[in-house]
Amino acid sequence: MTEPHIRIGVDIGGTFTDLQILNEATGALASFKTPTTPDPSEGLVTGVREAAARFGFDLAAVRLIVHGTTIATNAVLQRRLARGVLLTTAGFEDVLEIGRHGRRDIYGLKPHQEPPLIPRDRRLGLPERMRADGSVETPLTGAAVAEALDRLAALGAEAVAVCLLNAHVNAAHETALAEALARARPDLPVSVSSAISPEIREYERCSTTALNALLMPTVGGYLERLGGRMAEAGLSARLLLVQSNGGVCTAALAKAQPARLLLSGPSGGALATLRTAKALGRENVIGVDMGGTSYDVCVVAGGRLTSVTQGEIDGLPVRLPMVEIRTIGSGGGSIARVDEAGRLRVGPESAGSQPGPVCYGRGGERPTVTDANVALARLDPGFFLGGAMALDRAGAAAAISRDVGAPLGLAPEAAAEGMLAVTEARLAAAARLSLFEKGLDPREFALLSFGGAGGLHATSVAEALGVREVVFPADASTFSAFGILYSDITHDLARSRVTPADEAALPWLAETLAELRAQGEALLADDGVPEADRRAAVSVDMRYRGQAFELVTPWEVDLPDAAALARLLDGFHELHRLRFSYSDPDAATEIVAVRLNAIGALRTATEAGRSAGGEGTPPGVREIWLGGGWRPAAVHRREALTAAVDGPALVEEEYTTCLVGEGWRCAPGPAGAMIVTRTAP
Amino acid sequence: MTPDALKPDADALSPVSLEIFRNALTATAAEMDVTVWRTSRSTVVRELLDYSTAVFDRDGRNVAQAARIPQHLNSMGAGLLTVIEEHLPLDRWEDGDVVITNDPYSGGQHIPDILAFRPVFVNGARVAIVGTLCHHLDMGGMAAGSYSATATEIFQEGLRIPPIKLVRRGAMDENVFAIMTRNVRRPDMLKGDLQAQLASLGVGEANVRALAGRVGAEVFVASCARILDQSEAAMRAMLSRIPDGVYSFEDWLDDDGITPDPIRIHAEVTIAGDRATVDLSGSSPQARGPVNATLASSLSGVTFAMLAVSDVDIPANAGCMRPVTVVAPEGLVVSARSPAPVANRIACTHRVATTILGALSRAIPDRVPAAYYGVSYVMTFQTIGLDGARGVLVEIEVGGSGAHHDVDGLSGYTYGMHNNSNIPVEMIESEMPLTIMAYGLSPGSGGAGRRRGGLGLFREWRVDSPEAIFSANAERFRFRPYGLEGGEPGREGRLTLIRDGERTALGSKVNNLPLRRGDVIRLETSGGGGFGPLADRAPEAAARDAALGYV
Repeated sequence: MTEPHIRIGVDIGGTFTDLQILNEATGALASFKTPTTPDPSEGLVTGVREAAARFGFDLAAVRLIVHGTTIATNAVLQRRLARGVLLTTAGFEDVLEIGRHGRRDIYGLKPHQEPPLIPRDRRLGLPERMRADGSVETPLTGAAVAEALDRLAALGAEAVAVCLLNAHVNAAHETALAEALARARPDLPVSVSSAISPEIREYERCSTTALNALLMPTVGGYLERLGGRMAEAGLSARLLLVQSNGGVCTAALAKAQPARLLLSGPSGGALATLRTAKALGRENVIGVDMGGTSYDVCVVAGGRLTSVTQGEIDGLPVRLPMVEIRTIGSGGGSIARVDEAGRLRVGPESAGSQPGPVCYGRGGERPTVTDANVALARLDPGFFLGGAMALDRAGAAAAISRDVGAPLGLAPEAAAEGMLAVTEARLAAAARLSLFEKGLDPREFALLSFGGAGGLHATSVAEALGVREVVFPADASTFSAFGILYSDITHDLARSRVTPADEAALPWLAETLAELRAQGEALLADDGVPEADRRAAVSVDMRYRGQAFELVTPWEVDLPDAAALARLLDGFHELHRLRFSYSDPDAATEIVAVRLNAIGALRTATEAGRSAGGEGTPPGVREIWLGGGWRPAAVHRREALTAAVDGPALVEEEYTTCLVGEGWRCAPGPAGAMIVTRTAP
Repeated sequence: MTPDALKPDADALSPVSLEIFRNALTATAAEMDVTVWRTSRSTVVRELLDYSTAVFDRDGRNVAQAARIPQHLNSMGAGLLTVIEEHLPLDRWEDGDVVITNDPYSGGQHIPDILAFRPVFVNGARVAIVGTLCHHLDMGGMAAGSYSATATEIFQEGLRIPPIKLVRRGAMDENVFAIMTRNVRRPDMLKGDLQAQLASLGVGEANVRALAGRVGAEVFVASCARILDQSEAAMRAMLSRIPDGVYSFEDWLDDDGITPDPIRIHAEVTIAGDRATVDLSGSSPQARGPVNATLASSLSGVTFAMLAVSDVDIPANAGCMRPVTVVAPEGLVVSARSPAPVANRIACTHRVATTILGALSRAIPDRVPAAYYGVSYVMTFQTIGLDGARGVLVEIEVGGSGAHHDVDGLSGYTYGMHNNSNIPVEMIESEMPLTIMAYGLSPGSGGAGRRRGGLGLFREWRVDSPEAIFSANAERFRFRPYGLEGGEPGREGRLTLIRDGERTALGSKVNNLPLRRGDVIRLETSGGGGFGPLADRAPEAAARDAALGYV
């Protein structure tokens, strides 16, 4: 038997589990979909089994499974979290509940607020205190630790978070507590702030640590079940999980630091956007993923995915590096209604997949974006999911007439087109703001559209943005899984300390970098990454003195010396100028954190190409409603598209349909993508 | 923003086109907002985010705003109309002009806030005005930050700029600029933040001009009018659902920082069909100290309250206030006459909001909560090192929100007229010789009731430098946030100096109190009011409060 040579990327969505399968020996690539199961590990293993049967490989030949998961995300959104206890500095037990103030709905009198992750009676204060310079103001005594352990025993904890003030500077007290916990309660999952997020700002660090602790039982349990199912099925492949930062990690790390998985799902799409941008030789690409309930926007600028050092889930800050993704609540399932002022509003309320749009015929009664597309014949009711599910076009049109057309005095078609126009305006505004806030010009970008619902709106959104090129990647509906296939192992390490960025900081920088490098090497060695495939990238969070936010400044550095420091400062001033329109080279600057990305490249063969689809189907013609009237549009099967076509045209594939608007030309491009370019001025 | 849908011939004023147009205007305000954030200089603007942006119709009526600070957003429109009606009529506004003012008696709010407006012309016709408001770090006057707690006339509060053209047909008036920069403590910051305002107006102007170019100037103007009409209609419908009647309420400010007399805010709200009249005439005469508000500032309290009680989501713009008449003769604390000082005008507008909400609670008890803490607790520390080195910390804290008939209030939640963040303990300690000794929820501070008010906070600062100077602007030390329907009021706030183990109570306004190493200042903020009698509180809720130590 040959060496294991099959690599599988898996993305688990609400409805489908998507697989991309790469034969590393031949470079052949295939995609596969299977329904998602209540315990997603079941669907995953089933999917691999079915794919093996369909594409003729042996389960023993699977070398690597790279897995994007929403298990952590969903656990937080549904608050299915462990019963946690927080150990913190006495006098600051309420930091987790108080948060940072600031609200979004400025006129609301009755804001919804979730209860704190860990309630007040399970937040224990310990008499101890570190100062901001790392010196000890109040030592942590053995007696205090013993007392805390006693109190903990009575609380029925399933997980423990430890977050002490200024622990990002001196972790001695946290470490002592963690060791005592490990001795006294080896059964308990423990998350320590200086290990998961050693960064300044107590609330954000505490929230991250608490989330991590509360997710440990859930994610750990899932990974154990998955491991069990894989073993049962005879799969001995290595399992890696996609993190929020776009890199992957081992199952062991995912169990210890599940908060790193919170953006695992959308990261796959961002990775695929980056991969496709590279394959097409494009430096600047906006990636938009439109599904049933949401529209996710990521940005590749200058050949790199933009990322942030802190994100948020359900209003809770997560201080961990992640791919920057802007999400708005617009999707195929977004519901349209007319309010009492006569405004037509679409979303953010969504019909989801249950009951779903009216046209699904599963009990949905309120008209959605998908219903509008069906009513206008942009979606073929007979070819949804490749014909697997018939759509009720009359039902969709009736619901639109009732809820939108009648109140506004519009014909059903005009009402449906209005729903789509309002939706597209919102999509374009979200994409535009993602670029605008970084000082980027949409006209220098291509728009890459994926996700089941995105293809029908991409050229309209591009027009509104002034973008002249739209890319429809191959296998748009399993695109995230494709991105996941090509991710690398990535460890984000950081040390935080506010210090002037001058030569006096060099000894600390040297010591910190040496520590981070050693830690990164050790982690990659544990991951089994050969030395030749290890890389490290250093960056520094910097600001002008007096600012309360930082810019992550990349730093090419070997040994930190005066020359390297000068390079760092130059880089910071330049970055500041780009992002905020000015720099002040004479102003005092500060270092807030030093970061190291330890990257273990996962070797792979380049893909040879995709298995061609079915027989060429001759193009048809369908009357669709566009620009205020019914008009014929050519309808192509995507796999049969070999030459350029001018819009208006529809390109259909099993799981998605692309609309090529008027004034656009669609042509097959590299890497199986379709490239749509603006022909009108 | 889909071009096709915006063509005038495609039924330009249809609900669909209008919704897309509204989206484009709101996006413009958002992009103007991002521009200020990206290009501003001072910490006040960039980090406390004390600024706002908006789009106005050709006559100066607010049409769209970015979600930022209620206090600003709803007085910019009144301010602009004052500028136009009393100082610079619109026929004198030319393409490329930028009109500014910070004068509270000519459309401004308080002296640190500079309002800047730029008209947008298409083919020689004015189609809109874009505006930004920034709170500047310092505009001169007797106290750093132009925020003295003891000023007794506006001339002490800083440099007043009447409505003038800072930019004339694209050319900056360098003379005006020179006068401004010579009168402030940090001219570099003023320059940077003012440039951010101008850049933001440039972005707004370009966006509006592009939009008007696409839809045509006539459709643009008509669409603005329709958007205002829609909000007006929604507001009228909302008012019609409130039972007709006359609803009165009063609430109090502790004092003005100069004299100990309490200050009454009184509102008589008349609901008649689809109209409302808010009569503030029963409020106290203007105060000697700077807790006064101009009528334009008070209007934002009225607007906030009227929008906040709505049972449906109404887009905030000038149309909302058409069915609302506000009555307040000049010379009251809510309608101060020059030269009354107004630096701390938000003290008054918080109370205008709680008073109107209190009045409306009698009409719609299901929608209005008991009082929130209703004060911006501004605490300022200036530390002085052995070598004379100064550090300045300005903190704005919050308290608890009031209970609704069916839910408890929120603890330590920014509510009402302002919207700001706290500062991380670790950030303060890494930058200043101060140690935060404790930060938490104050048990028992929420007003008791069937539903409990949210809890206030406590925070303690210890001075680690040889010397320091402390100032405070607070409220609700005497007059507690009211409860409703038998609910108890929230607990009053307190400020305490702890020196050598001895505790001394301080007043709500503290001006330049000298501190020394080891001194601790403890702030306790108010909780929110409770709703309904405590006797009706569900036993399980009471048990939970006890278990969690909320009471």
